[in-house]
Amino acid sequence: MKRSLSALLALGLSFTLAILLTTTVDSSVYSQSYPAVVCPPTMSGLSSQISVSSRKTQFQRLENRSTKTIPFNALRLPVSKDSLVISAKGVTPVVWQSRSGSWAGGAICSGPASSQWFVGGSSDITSRGRLIVINSGLSEAIVDVQTYSENGKQPLLSLNLKPKSYSLVNLDALATGDKSLTVHVLPRSGRINAFMIDELGSGLRALGGDLVNPITAASKTLVIPAIPNQLPKKGKKSTAPKTLRILAPSDVDATFTLELLSADGSFVPVGFNSRSISAGVVSEFTLSPKISATVFAARIKSNEPVVAAILSQAKIKERTDFLWSTPTPALVPMAIAITGLVPTIVFTSDAIAVKVEVTFINGKKTLATIKGSDIATWRVPKATRSISIMQTSAETHAGALIASDNGYGYIPITPGSLLTRVEIPHSNIRVLNP
Amino acid sequence: MAAQAALDRHRVSAIIVSHDGQSWLPQTVAALASQTRAVDYVVAVDTGSKDSSLQLLKSARIRVINAARDCGFGEAISIGVDSLDSAQADTIEWIWLIHDDCAPAPTALEFLLAAIDDRPQVAMVGPKLLGWHNRTHLLEVGVSIAGNGARWTGLEPLEYDQGQHDGVHDVLSVSTAGALIRRDIFEEIGGFDKNLALFRDDVDFGWRARVAGHSVIAASSAVVFHAQASATERRSVDVGGAILQRPLLLDRRNAAYVLLANSSWWLIPWLAIQLLSSAMLRAIGYLLAKLPGYASDELLAIATLLIKPGLIIKARRNRKAHRFVSARIVSSYIPPRWSQLRLSTSGFVEALRSRLLPESAPGQRSILDSVEDEDLLVPAQSVRWFAIFRRPEVTGFLFLAVITLIASRMRLGSLIGGALPASPSGARDLWQMYFQSWHQVGMGSSYASPPWIAVVAVFASILFGKAPLLLTLFFLTAPLLMMWSILTLLRKLTQNPWISVPASFIYAISPVAIAAVNSGRLATVVTLIIAPQVPLLLTNWKRIELQSWRKIFTLTLLVGFLYAFTLIAFVTLLGLVAFALFADYKEVFNDRPLFLERLYKRAVILFVPFILNAPYSFQALTTPSRFLSEPGVSLPGGGSHLVILGNPGGVGALPWWLISPMLLILVVALFSSSSAKTIALYGSGFLSAAVFFSSLAIATHGDSARVNVWTGTFLVGATIAATAAGVVILDRLRAILVTSNFHFRHILAALLLFLTALYTVLTLGWSVTAGATSPVQSSSSTVMPAFLSVEKDTKTLVLREMGSVGAKSIQYYISRGKDIILGEPDVAPRQTQQIAVAAQELIDGSGISSSKTFADFGIKYVFVKLPFDRNIIRTIDGLGGFSRASATSTGVVWRVAGVTGRLILVGEDGVRELLETGEVGARTTVAYPGRVLLTENYDRSWQILQNGYRLQRVVSEQGLPLFIATESGEISLIHDGTIRRAWISFEIIAWVVLLIFAAPAGRRKREIFEKELA
Repeated sequence: MKRSLSALLALGLSFTLAILLTTTVDSSVYSQSYPAVVCPPTMSGLSSQISVSSRKTQFQRLENRSTKTIPFNALRLPVSKDSLVISAKGVTPVVWQSRSGSWAGGAICSGPASSQWFVGGSSDITSRGRLIVINSGLSEAIVDVQTYSENGKQPLLSLNLKPKSYSLVNLDALATGDKSLTVHVLPRSGRINAFMIDELGSGLRALGGDLVNPITAASKTLVIPAIPNQLPKKGKKSTAPKTLRILAPSDVDATFTLELLSADGSFVPVGFNSRSISAGVVSEFTLSPKISATVFAARIKSNEPVVAAILSQAKIKERTDFLWSTPTPALVPMAIAITGLVPTIVFTSDAIAVKVEVTFINGKKTLATIKGSDIATWRVPKATRSISIMQTSAETHAGALIASDNGYGYIPITPGSLLTRVEIPHSNIRVLNP
Repeated sequence: MAAQAALDRHRVSAIIVSHDGQSWLPQTVAALASQTRAVDYVVAVDTGSKDSSLQLLKSARIRVINAARDCGFGEAISIGVDSLDSAQADTIEWIWLIHDDCAPAPTALEFLLAAIDDRPQVAMVGPKLLGWHNRTHLLEVGVSIAGNGARWTGLEPLEYDQGQHDGVHDVLSVSTAGALIRRDIFEEIGGFDKNLALFRDDVDFGWRARVAGHSVIAASSAVVFHAQASATERRSVDVGGAILQRPLLLDRRNAAYVLLANSSWWLIPWLAIQLLSSAMLRAIGYLLAKLPGYASDELLAIATLLIKPGLIIKARRNRKAHRFVSARIVSSYIPPRWSQLRLSTSGFVEALRSRLLPESAPGQRSILDSVEDEDLLVPAQSVRWFAIFRRPEVTGFLFLAVITLIASRMRLGSLIGGALPASPSGARDLWQMYFQSWHQVGMGSSYASPPWIAVVAVFASILFGKAPLLLTLFFLTAPLLMMWSILTLLRKLTQNPWISVPASFIYAISPVAIAAVNSGRLATVVTLIIAPQVPLLLTNWKRIELQSWRKIFTLTLLVGFLYAFTLIAFVTLLGLVAFALFADYKEVFNDRPLFLERLYKRAVILFVPFILNAPYSFQALTTPSRFLSEPGVSLPGGGSHLVILGNPGGVGALPWWLISPMLLILVVALFSSSSAKTIALYGSGFLSAAVFFSSLAIATHGDSARVNVWTGTFLVGATIAATAAGVVILDRLRAILVTSNFHFRHILAALLLFLTALYTVLTLGWSVTAGATSPVQSSSSTVMPAFLSVEKDTKTLVLREMGSVGAKSIQYYISRGKDIILGEPDVAPRQTQQIAVAAQELIDGSGISSSKTFADFGIKYVFVKLPFDRNIIRTIDGLGGFSRASATSTGVVWRVAGVTGRLILVGEDGVRELLETGEVGARTTVAYPGRVLLTENYDRSWQILQNGYRLQRVVSEQGLPLFIATESGEISLIHDGTIRRAWISFEIIAWVVLLIFAAPAGRRKREIFEKELA
């Protein structure tokens, strides 16, 4: 009996010991890093400034053969020509481009993307827009550009890009004569970013322009958080209407509902409840909401994945500029560099609760908490270097509206480069065993 | 009357040759005296007998001629013949040769003469020789000689005489014991050859008589009983020329002499080879039987003849003078090779059959039990063929075979998956891997090949080199072999087949058995088959001194075989020996000799197998993870929560909810009062070890990540113990339950049986459904695309996402253009740090210098096997130094920039030039002085020879071998395998020596009891 009990005890002890000794054997080890972000080049006649959060932020010019990086030594760098590759370390740089006396627009500098949708631009006679496709990699790249218009899907355009180079595609060449474009940039290989400049002109008269921010993927729910609503001066006519451009890229027609959210409340404009659109055809709808607030947001729900953006006209110094408000993904903790800009950030959610840390140019920091429901606007203090979203409520979306002497711009509040968690591979001969 | 008249024409003179034959001589003399046809004259030639032979002969009033003690048989006969009166013209003179150890039956002479009466061409007639001790056993009815010198009678050993060979047969020759020879012919052809003092003189004489145009017959109606005293070493052989007085040596030497002296000249080279090779084979056989004396006899016999070729030449010249017909006429009497083979095979099969399927006693009934009238009243019972299915063994094995076949329906082809890499197409590849000193795996390694590769190669060779077929058959039949193996053990524990057979069946479908087969764990499957034989051999582990040394060595062989597959067996045995020695220390330490004897025997079982498997086992001392590894790809085992239930876990294992009753049985057995308790103590020990080791994680066999130890091998011990304990309990419990009132034992037994039945049913269901899609399956798919295999000896870094959905991880390895094959994971080198860093940087996109690192290590391509994260593919695209070579549905291939390959010449100006190279070694030319970089892991055995000199070898910055070529010219790259060859020689010698120790010892002929002789 004694030996039997001893044997049982030994078994119990070994089991206990095994549980205590068992270390979680996880063969996966990860390396975390922020991929370098790419800012668009400056086209002829444009001026461009890139805001960063630190003077020590490293960058390299795209067309430099060397991979060596150098520091910015400034918080806002005017860029005359080149596209820059910036090691932003998690703080998303913002590029602000403008054509003096004509238009202005903003975009975030972002890391390589596997898919980008640009809802904006035109191929008609007024179009002076361009699609900029950048290969920041050290190998050749192949990129497919698929254009959709009001006439449906256009022939596929394939681009071959040399290492560290970019390619310019005139928008009027994508679907010649068509008015409403939506462009899908799909890299087949290489480290690819794309930007779209939508610029319109009629003869010598500039009709405005904007940097169209991309959408990563089509979705059944889209939230466009910041749409400017320039109120008419007393006694003047009502503001220019907005235009909703929407595309269901799949093979099935979609039915969508548009809901507007503003300080006046949320509502579905007449005619936008369960509205059908044809698959593969870019549709445009005019919006003339009677909203008293200066900004509002839009939420689109569809039974099929769609991409959409809202075009707004705005007058500045008796000139007309336009901007494309694009959907943003849900807000996540992040940081964005806005040196030199004073944006108004619009948050949209059923219940908004966002804690923001503001870092001023002098290095001082302050915290701000934005609360509200449906929509809340927050104007960033002057001399701000960067803002960091510290905490955010669920399903909150944010966009920034920026006004300047040259025009208006829109920037989605979303990280340009996500913290990439790459698994460190380990050697295992098993990979050679089918 | 006619016959009687004919008899009168013959005159028979019997010549007895005696030599220390007092044991048999009285019967011999009496037999001669009682012949129905009286011998006309008797003379005895005594060759210096030291016993009372002379007195016996004289007292029988037989004329005795004394000869020298070293006088040969033929010479003695000549002396006897010379002493006879001259032949008379009207009679036919015969000499009847009588050995002192043979006794003719009373009618022997009469029938011999009757046989030759109407055959005037007969020169020699011999009787049917029967055994002296057992007079029903046939010894000879005529004799011949085989091509390898063996004495050929055409009979089976100890063949029972039922008259099956009766009649008068034309033969090459007959034994001289009782042979009747015509005197005139005897004298005409010169009698017996003086060079054949003893043995084979009969064959030689018959052969010569045949080629002289005479006939030799054997008449089975004449019977002589023969003791074969000299051949069975019942007396010393003192004849001249008998070196060291060794009968076997003389016999073999004379056999060779007869063949070489009488055969056609053109047959002599072939005969010489045959004699030499068969002598060597027999010598090996004798060595295995621990009879070195006989082994040396075999070799010395040939040697003594070969050093005197003049003897053969002279003998051939003499024979030529008396030859009247072609030597070919004897060819019909020489046994063809196939008949020798047939006899040997049937003997072997019969021995095997009697061993495996002994005559079953239950069917036999004593004659005392029978009722005489029964035969008349009871109709004869006919055995229905399907009655065989009433035997639990038959139904059990058949059922398991059917279940296995259904569960293995995806494994009816070349197997791959789990821990099992693809089999090489032929055994040649396995042999090559085993013998070669350098393995082209990853960056290359000089690890010693594990001995199991040689074992698999041996079996594959038997199957005509079909290694894939071997593995398919092995995994297909493994459950049946497991069941058979445990059944042999359980039969020792119970006589009830209704307990032992189901228990064996459950063992074959135990969690560890199913997991091992499903995941391709070669070592665990082998252990499951072999391990039940260990307790059969080692019947008394505690009092090991009772085991003979031969059994200890047999067990050592078996354990060595297990070590060859996995050193977990060593760890297990180490624990067992440690516990046993501790018990010995407490029990018998005061009895020093006994303690030491136990210590020695335990140490031999533990350490000798370890030495047998050197250098593989020795290398484990520097790489301890090998003590816990199994052959094949490193795969994790399950956690301790599974292991404690007897399930080793891991891929292919039973799901957690299929709980075997193993633990319950062990616990119940621990508290039983039978021998099951002792068995359960061992079982719980194995289980404790398994549970403990399941918590450890090791990195081995080409996997740089640590994975949980697979404890299947430990669980084999626990499963065997649980099965055996269950059998003992049930065997005993059944009787108790039948005779006792209802109490807790009934409930416990019912619960145990219910759980066992539930487990069995559910497991069988799982095996034939979900279990059939286990990792090990027949497949012809490959990882590496064919176009990467075209370029010879090119290294490719292969990246692949491994693991199940949701738990995928990126892994890489360096391929030599093809997938891995069996054995390669076991010799895979450790991860090279620089390559690991470069691969990491390749993935995270920071690897600006990754391509340079790869080029430095001779990696020419990077291959990403799809499906793979597209972002990472784009990352690689974005890195410099990699240019896409292809992108197919299989994967994406990049070519690494720069000049790279296996052998690179780096000039003083830093210019790199690729040199031609072979599989391991190479012969190529360097165009100018420089450094020759070999992109293989550094090893001291790498050498480059130029003009007969070794080039200076240094270690490069990357840790690769770099050779300084001071001049241009041809160079030879070699990996010196001398040490490997030395180890293999050591292994072979060690295994052979142990095999000899373990083999049953043969007996010298003089040690065989007379009762066993015919």
